[in-house]
Amino acid sequence: MPNRLTMVLVWGALLALLAATIGVSQLRLGLWNPVLNLSIAAIKTLLVAWLYMDLRTAPPVARLFGLGLILWLTIMFGLGIPDWLTR
Amino acid sequence: MPAMAEPMPVQPPYRQAEQRRHADLLGMWLFLASEGMLFGGVFLALAVYRLILPQAMKAASAHLDLWAGGANTAVLLTSSLTMALAVRAAQAGKRSEALAELAATAVLGVAFEAIKLHSWWSEYLQGLLPGHGPPFPLAEPGARMFFHLYFVATGLHALHLAVGITVVTVLTGALALRPQTTPRDARAVEVTALYWHLVDIVWIFLYPVLYLIAR
Repeated sequence: MPNRLTMVLVWGALLALLAATIGVSQLRLGLWNPVLNLSIAAIKTLLVAWLYMDLRTAPPVARLFGLGLILWLTIMFGLGIPDWLTR
Repeated sequence: MPAMAEPMPVQPPYRQAEQRRHADLLGMWLFLASEGMLFGGVFLALAVYRLILPQAMKAASAHLDLWAGGANTAVLLTSSLTMALAVRAAQAGKRSEALAELAATAVLGVAFEAIKLHSWWSEYLQGLLPGHGPPFPLAEPGARMFFHLYFVATGLHALHLAVGITVVTVLTGALALRPQTTPRDARAVEVTALYWHLVDIVWIFLYPVLYLIAR
């Protein structure tokens, strides 16, 4: 596991990203609103998964399961969204 | 890596304590991947309706309390910090620190549920629960669908968090009854923490997708 200071700094970064996502949501940026808000959520997820869930030092097969989830979600969204966009 | 005085008895089929720990972590990650697919279906439904009925989804989202949702995000992110610190303390054999951090995690989880219950109640009073209570206030045809999805998504998430709170509370009680933390306890805390963080990650996405799409 990362040391205590790293964990507290990650928490600070997560709260800063929360403030950023609320700030972005108050602006009218069109397509950039969902893009920025989902990117911020993805960065938060990476911080939590890599340092709090300790994927950094996790067994390689556990990391593979995490990647597997991303792969299956990509397939689900990759086939699900175009289906609706092309009707 | 866990550094502890007490050697851990390893039973077949395991040859080493570390192998046993890896098996535990792997089992939890497999479960988390299946949970990710469960919530993925909800997110796909939200994405599709956001694309095909954008105005209705935005109008409906504007009726949610952005600040209650934001406060809940902060509470849950903080609970992930205390949970991660608890894993570290348990692995280092720091029993009282681990107990305090686990208890703080459970309390923050309860705080999240309390804020959520309060939000649901005020939404119910505004008529936003489709099919029940006061008349639905929005005219857009898709707005009802947003609130169906909202209550399913936040309800499913709150249910997962309630399970997490129960597990963390039982674990805290079990550890408090023992004179010292064993490597087995540290593994239990570590695996429970993975589940807790996943529930946090689901909310990290639910917050912008439900609350922050009004503009």
